[in-house]
Amino acid sequence: MKRKYWNEAVLVLLAVPILLWTLIPIYHLFLFSISSKDSAFSGALWPDHPTLRGFGTIARQEHFYLHHFWIQIWNSLWIAVAVGVLTLAIATSAAFAISRLKVKGGRTVMNLALFTYFIPAAFLAIPMYKAMGVYGLLNNRWSLVLAMVTLAAPYAIWVLKQASDKLPFELDEAARIDGATPLQLFRLVYLPLMTPSMVAIGTYALLLAWNEYLYGYLLLSHEQTITLAVALGHFIAADDSPWELLMATGLVYALPPAAIYYAFRRYMVSGLTSGAVKA
Amino acid sequence: MASVTFDSIFKSFGSTKILHGISLDIADGEFMVLVGPSGCGKSTLLRMLAGLEEISSGHVAIDGRVVNDIESKDRDIAMVFQSYALYPHMTVRENMGFSLRLRNESRKITEQRVDNAARILNLTNFLGRYPRELSGGQRQRVAMGRAIVRDPKVFLFDEPLSNLDAKLRVAMRAEIKALHQRLKTTTVYVTHDQVEAMTMADRIAVMNDGRIEQLGRPLELYDRPANLFVAQFIGSPAMNVFDGVLKNNLVHGLGTQWPIPAGTTAVEGQMLKYGIRPEHLELAAAGVAAEVVVVEPMGAETEFLVKVQEQAFTVVSHGRAAAGPGDKVFLWPAAQNAHLFDAASGLRIQ
Repeated sequence: MKRKYWNEAVLVLLAVPILLWTLIPIYHLFLFSISSKDSAFSGALWPDHPTLRGFGTIARQEHFYLHHFWIQIWNSLWIAVAVGVLTLAIATSAAFAISRLKVKGGRTVMNLALFTYFIPAAFLAIPMYKAMGVYGLLNNRWSLVLAMVTLAAPYAIWVLKQASDKLPFELDEAARIDGATPLQLFRLVYLPLMTPSMVAIGTYALLLAWNEYLYGYLLLSHEQTITLAVALGHFIAADDSPWELLMATGLVYALPPAAIYYAFRRYMVSGLTSGAVKA
Repeated sequence: MASVTFDSIFKSFGSTKILHGISLDIADGEFMVLVGPSGCGKSTLLRMLAGLEEISSGHVAIDGRVVNDIESKDRDIAMVFQSYALYPHMTVRENMGFSLRLRNESRKITEQRVDNAARILNLTNFLGRYPRELSGGQRQRVAMGRAIVRDPKVFLFDEPLSNLDAKLRVAMRAEIKALHQRLKTTTVYVTHDQVEAMTMADRIAVMNDGRIEQLGRPLELYDRPANLFVAQFIGSPAMNVFDGVLKNNLVHGLGTQWPIPAGTTAVEGQMLKYGIRPEHLELAAAGVAAEVVVVEPMGAETEFLVKVQEQAFTVVSHGRAAAGPGDKVFLWPAAQNAHLFDAASGLRIQ
């Protein structure tokens, strides 16, 4: 018993600093967003006159930097969802083909795809820009979608492949004997059993796109087409940035991912770890 | 219903040869058990019949039609796996009806046939449950239900009882046998358990190292094993076997002499393996001197582990123990039930 308490004490001692370390920046974000412009840098732990005015300004698009707020957050959402869905579609099919249908050369293709991670994404940005230019997709949402799917897919395929390797192969054999075609096997047996991993990977891809800045900044340039992440970057371009609005927008921007994480937290842990280690 | 034919089946994985020319005819409605130690190729043979394994050479035919190049789903077979392989996200009803759903069978007929199979297998109350909510025996029955709903030409069983505890295994054994007697569907059943093979089969194919050692009815194999492998594999406890030489119509071995069955074709001076089953040795007032090592009372019968010189023997006698550990006893072999094998080839001497 004593030992158990001791272990718990150590865990708590570790957890408290880590928690603070994680939460303090978020608290600052929150603090800024409810402060008036003058008191933003006062250093107080709680503003004298907390205000939600910033959020109203955002919603009504009443600031120069926020004139296109709603269309920009819509762009972010549209792109993130498209990346999530496309990545899932590609990665699930690939994982099924490699892991269950044992397509010849499948593993090689997967390893080649993973190999792209040796090159930092930032180095690929310019070639990607060039490619999108050739396709005439610059300043089009699809350019960012395609770029992000390219970046997310290898990892997604790998995780889903590991997860599907764990499904008993007898299930496929039973289904084949029961009369299932590969497509029926995919739809009626494989997809339902892969749902937890797919939720995790879909969320991963969605958030990757939602948080992306560099590629958005490069591939999209018009105020009506950029994502909110890029728009937030514009705030800093001014000499006298409206910090409280930047932080308030940032807070709004952080809410959907938090909500998604919360909704799928069960899948996130089991789904991502299930692929990580071979049991 | 249908007959099944294996014709000179070879199988190799890379350079490893698994099956060395298996030929086997299974009659319509027959319950055929493939039995052998693990790695003997019995499961591979079954999986070839199921269409889950490529055939390196030879032919497999169902009802006279060669099925080498026909997909599993078009072979009209149903298979029960060791791991049950139930679809975890489907209820018992959906599991059992899955094959009919894939064949676009009408809802009404599917329901009828699932209900019917559930009644046969006592699963009616579990149709709405998921596999994870069932016990091992129930899952096994669902797997069988999934097979019989199809009304296939051939049932395939791949070690279906291995994951069950001993008591349940005996019960399921009887259920499967009863099911076969009721449906009379041709059945190929793979197991490593010779008791399962003996109790269930119409005929048994004893396999070892990619070959069929002997094919026959259970008691044929028991009474007249074709070679040493079958002699020692079939029967529990296993047959006692030791080396000897034939001299003057007696086998000289273990420092003493053993009687032989009448009419044997063994020749004077031949090196032999002498085999005698535990129940064909009797503890008697005279015979081969032995010392009792262990006594295992089973109730109806008693198993003695005894030693003649350094050779261990198992003796089974009806009734209760008349001797204890350390006692000197005499073994009396029933000569007519002794088995003689050629020492070099291991083949039975008639």
